[in-house]
Amino acid sequence: MTRRVVGLLIVLVLAWGGLALAIANGLTPLLGLDLQGGTAVVLTAPVGTPTEVLEDAIAVMNLRIEGIGAVQEPEIAISGENTVVVQLPGVEDEARAIEAVGSTGLLSFRPVLVSVPGSIGPLAGTNTPGIDNETGLTIEDDIHGEAWLLDQGVAFDSVVILVGPAQLEGSHVAGANTLPPNPNDPGWAVSLDLTGEGGVRFAQMTAEAAGFPGNDPRRQIAIVLDGEIITAPSVNQGVSPATGITGGTALITVGGGEEGQREANDLAVVLRYGSLPIAFEISAVNKVSGTLGKDSLQAGILAGAIGLALVTIVLLIVYRSLGLVAIVGLTVFGSLLITVFALAGEWFGLTLTLAGITGIIVAIGITADSYIVYFERVKEKVRQGYPVEEATEEGFRLAYRTILTADTVSFLAALLLLMLAVGAVKGFALSLLIATILDVLIAPAYTRTTALILSDTRLGAGGAFSIEGASR
Amino acid sequence: MTAWSRLNRGETTIDFVGLRKRWFIISAVAIVIALASLGIRGLNLGIEFVGGLTMQSPNPANAQLEDIRDDMTEVGIEDVTIQFLNDGESVLVTTPVVEDTTAAAAADALADVTGSDRSEVSIQAVGPSFGALVLQRALIALAVFLGAVVLFISWRLEFKMAIAGLAALGHDLLITVGVYSLTGFTVTPATVVAVLTILGYSLYDTVVVFDKVEELIETEEEMNITEIVNRAMNQVLARSLNTSLTSLLPVGSILFVGSFILGAPTLREFALALFVGIAAGTYSSIFVASPILAVWKEKEPFWIDRRDKVGRRGKSKKR
Repeated sequence: MTRRVVGLLIVLVLAWGGLALAIANGLTPLLGLDLQGGTAVVLTAPVGTPTEVLEDAIAVMNLRIEGIGAVQEPEIAISGENTVVVQLPGVEDEARAIEAVGSTGLLSFRPVLVSVPGSIGPLAGTNTPGIDNETGLTIEDDIHGEAWLLDQGVAFDSVVILVGPAQLEGSHVAGANTLPPNPNDPGWAVSLDLTGEGGVRFAQMTAEAAGFPGNDPRRQIAIVLDGEIITAPSVNQGVSPATGITGGTALITVGGGEEGQREANDLAVVLRYGSLPIAFEISAVNKVSGTLGKDSLQAGILAGAIGLALVTIVLLIVYRSLGLVAIVGLTVFGSLLITVFALAGEWFGLTLTLAGITGIIVAIGITADSYIVYFERVKEKVRQGYPVEEATEEGFRLAYRTILTADTVSFLAALLLLMLAVGAVKGFALSLLIATILDVLIAPAYTRTTALILSDTRLGAGGAFSIEGASR
Repeated sequence: MTAWSRLNRGETTIDFVGLRKRWFIISAVAIVIALASLGIRGLNLGIEFVGGLTMQSPNPANAQLEDIRDDMTEVGIEDVTIQFLNDGESVLVTTPVVEDTTAAAAADALADVTGSDRSEVSIQAVGPSFGALVLQRALIALAVFLGAVVLFISWRLEFKMAIAGLAALGHDLLITVGVYSLTGFTVTPATVVAVLTILGYSLYDTVVVFDKVEELIETEEEMNITEIVNRAMNQVLARSLNTSLTSLLPVGSILFVGSFILGAPTLREFALALFVGIAAGTYSSIFVASPILAVWKEKEPFWIDRRDKVGRRGKSKKR
């Protein structure tokens, strides 16, 4: 008995205390575009860009913004002839919005011609046209020409590199994945898959690079996104200058540790989604308010509160003291869910939209059902003549089997939607996923414990409000 | 004993399987109406799917969201999205595709309510934001999910239960989509999500019900399959009713309080899908999936054998 009470107290402290701690630290769930608004970035493509190209660009942007992971559920639409409006939920400052929409331009693979240590190019102070006189870097990079670009290496000091015309573009990349370190190689790596034509070009390019001796910078291949060198790996010593890297695949090794992992992830995202078919210019950045008016939100909250109050009444009438267990349990569930959402908003930019709230409502329904499945079992056992305490124990064993099976189905749905879907569907999937996990954990940790504690008191066997009373 | 307490004790004796023709006719009629409405009326797709117009205007009069929405309703535009830019400095109104005259009237109204000049209101066409990509990704996820569910239910329970569950799921989705078509409510991304929700809920509910059938198959050695399914349904009836009550109360409350009393169409649109879907989900587990399962399993040699052994007692009258 004492052990059960201690167990229950631990669960309650964790759930309620966790929420209180989160709120005290200013962590609340980030609200989505429809509820709270965010920032809208207007991007302009060159006049005369065909609509299909803009549509392709939107598809890539959608994947890339979510792939980078700072902002979820952006809303992107073509507006007018050649502009695209990207709305970013939860983003308040302009700099972060531009960063998220990010390097919206072109990805290219280019040969390295010259490499100079430091952050200032050799042409600084020479008044060369097209070159910034102070930094010596090319002002407007054209991927079909040469350019002086800065490589801000993570592990090394920065270097200024003269790159040649692009030999491969983003459209030649078929895929890219992050690979963890293995016993032979302590660093993180990114595997790169190229299309048929990309593979041929890549072999040519790497064959040329492999012709240069050991430490020559010309062994490097610069991967450039919007005039910025993302990374410039060297071709390995083992590669033959006669064939280059063949087979249409390559491995780019980066550093080890957490730093290396992040670098590898960013690189994979850039390689995978970096192939926008067109370069955009940012023409306006605006703060936008929520699309769902305050009145709608208030109506929703009021309606939700009334709904929950009705559920409370029904649970108390039908299940008496066990209904009380369910009601307290729903607050435990709610506290944990809000805390998880607050943390996910802080860490991954996850926002709570109307769709996410829908997921939560369903989750509450499923959680309430777990209680009902259990309580029905308990009643059944009591009617079969089991003593109340044994009925609560035995009923749980039977009910938990059902709860696990049913929750697995919901879990599968949520997980697959989260992994495969984009946009509004994601927020819903995440709330459902978290909710099913919480449900499976709360049942043994909280529900069973509390019901067993009750069964030993007058709320177990006794008056009309007891477990026995509910079973009659 | 009253009907309520019999229900509460799982001691009702409703012949779910024997009366299957009745349930199947009810469902068939509902599905035919849904399909007919989809064919004739189609669906009212929102701006997010088909695009529309955006009007941007400065807002010197500091017009509020409710005022602008009322004015748009007056010129005959029902579904608008209203956003304020840079803390209310200007207003962005997104409307569905409308007639040129309506658009002009809306622009006049917007200039009027915001206290700005008509020439300051800019109108542009806007494309869909819930584009092909989002939909395509959602459909892929759906297909993979259904495959996984069939495998999981086949492994945990049995293959025939998986298929009966999917039949119930199709039933629920058709009815929900049909209700959208009939009411003409706008289909928004939130609706799509609500429909996905129904999918999860419908299967979840069927699994809970079939788990009981599976349990009785293991324990009852003196019953044929029809009796087992009937007994299982009568035993889970209290749970199913109580669960639908607790799930439908919050959703129903959002639907009725939120939309009809306080007037918030956005809420109405997704609450409707949820309400109909959850109700259909509970109904179909008992009245669609279970009779299908019983009829299908009756044909297995094992159950024919069992039926011959225990006799046909308890078997319903043919109707």
